[in-house]
Amino acid sequence: MNYKPDESQLIAYLYGEVSEKEKEKLEIYFQQNPEELAKLRALGEVREIMAQAQDKEVIAPPVFVDDSGIRPLWQSSHFKVVMGVAASILFLLVAGKLLGPEINYSKGELRISFGKKTEPITQPANLTEQKVNELIEASLTKNNESQAAVRTEDQKKLMKSMLDFNSKKIDALAQSASLANQEQVRSFVAGLQEQNLKLMKDYFQLSAADQKKYMENLLVDFSGYLQEQRKQDLQFVQTKVNSLEKNNNQFKQETEQILTSLISNPGKKKNNY
Amino acid sequence: MAETLLDIAMMHSDSLITRAREGDKNAQGKLVQLWYKRIYNFSYKFFFDHDMAMEVSQKTFISMHKNLAGLQEVTRFKSWLYTIAVNYCREEARKKKSSRSFSLHDLNPGEGEESYRWEESHHRSENPERLLRHSELSDLLQQCLMQLSAEQREVVIMKEYEGLKFREIAEALNISENTVKSRMYYGLDGLKKILEQKKITKETIGYEL
Repeated sequence: MNYKPDESQLIAYLYGEVSEKEKEKLEIYFQQNPEELAKLRALGEVREIMAQAQDKEVIAPPVFVDDSGIRPLWQSSHFKVVMGVAASILFLLVAGKLLGPEINYSKGELRISFGKKTEPITQPANLTEQKVNELIEASLTKNNESQAAVRTEDQKKLMKSMLDFNSKKIDALAQSASLANQEQVRSFVAGLQEQNLKLMKDYFQLSAADQKKYMENLLVDFSGYLQEQRKQDLQFVQTKVNSLEKNNNQFKQETEQILTSLISNPGKKKNNY
Repeated sequence: MAETLLDIAMMHSDSLITRAREGDKNAQGKLVQLWYKRIYNFSYKFFFDHDMAMEVSQKTFISMHKNLAGLQEVTRFKSWLYTIAVNYCREEARKKKSSRSFSLHDLNPGEGEESYRWEESHHRSENPERLLRHSELSDLLQQCLMQLSAEQREVVIMKEYEGLKFREIAEALNISENTVKSRMYYGLDGLKKILEQKKITKETIGYEL
């Protein structure tokens, strides 16, 4: 018997997915070839080991669904459209009833109106252009006449008031000038002179007092300055004298030292040369 | 693999898929709740990376929500969903290859409450030492898995951990059933060698656990 199963048949046998006839053939083959059966059993062991890999637990995400799946009639889009149109028509009907619209078409003119009809204003037929012009002219003449009368009356009133005002003013001036006599003029001038004199005197007095005060201050300052200067000079002289005295003492000491050194070392000078 | 209530619900979710396909948002939400863990784990095993697994899972379910109406046969939902997931995994892998970056969790997974590993654990009442060993072993086996080529890895994960039939895997990957079986065979063979290199055997695992 030359039957040799391929891998697909062997694996189908391993998973038990072979027909009875095939199974018998394979079992006979395994009896004759136990090494093949061992090989297949090894694969079975692999399966057993791999079966140890556990499933991971996972929670399915929530799925939001509507319970019924049927939408009510009033939520359907067609219903909404129909209801919208019906509402619009109803609104128009109510508005029409309340406002009483009227639509007319006559002589190429479409007229839509609401409420009561108003009659157009009609002109009287017997009023001609000439009559209108006459009426306008008559009205203008009448107006011009009344204007002219008003103007002349105003002019008259103005002139009269101006004349009255000027004459009154001039009269008052002339009267006040005639009343002033010679005596009054003199007293006025004397008053003026006296006032000037007093002003001059005050000025000079004030000026003299200021000058005096200034001179006094100047003298005081100068004397202060002189005293300060004298003090500084004296200090300067004192320091100079002290310095001279010091120098003198120093010189004296040096001279004494030289003399003592000369006296104490008379022969030393020779050795240096 | 012990069947949980969730697995049983997944097996009998045909009417749910039908309702979801007809636009029932509630049914779509329930489908997400049923399949999220599977798709996350598939992606996690593919990348061994929490953030990328989350990314792929979210993208997969957004795509599912958009395209479910176009699903022809309800019975093919499973392979169809895995097709979406595999495509996103490949896309993310390409992106990762072009821009290498590391998650902060990878650099320093952390040990405290902030660690996502802690959040992932739902078996807090179990022995912590045992849990830690299991977790370490899982990570070790995951590293072995990562050494396989992407083609072999996706087949191994789909067969071994997601429990898809060879036919379903072939549908999901749009390849022949024989190619799937062949990849599976060489994938397991490759894993055998990797485990031998790392000296991981049934006995050592038994000792560890």
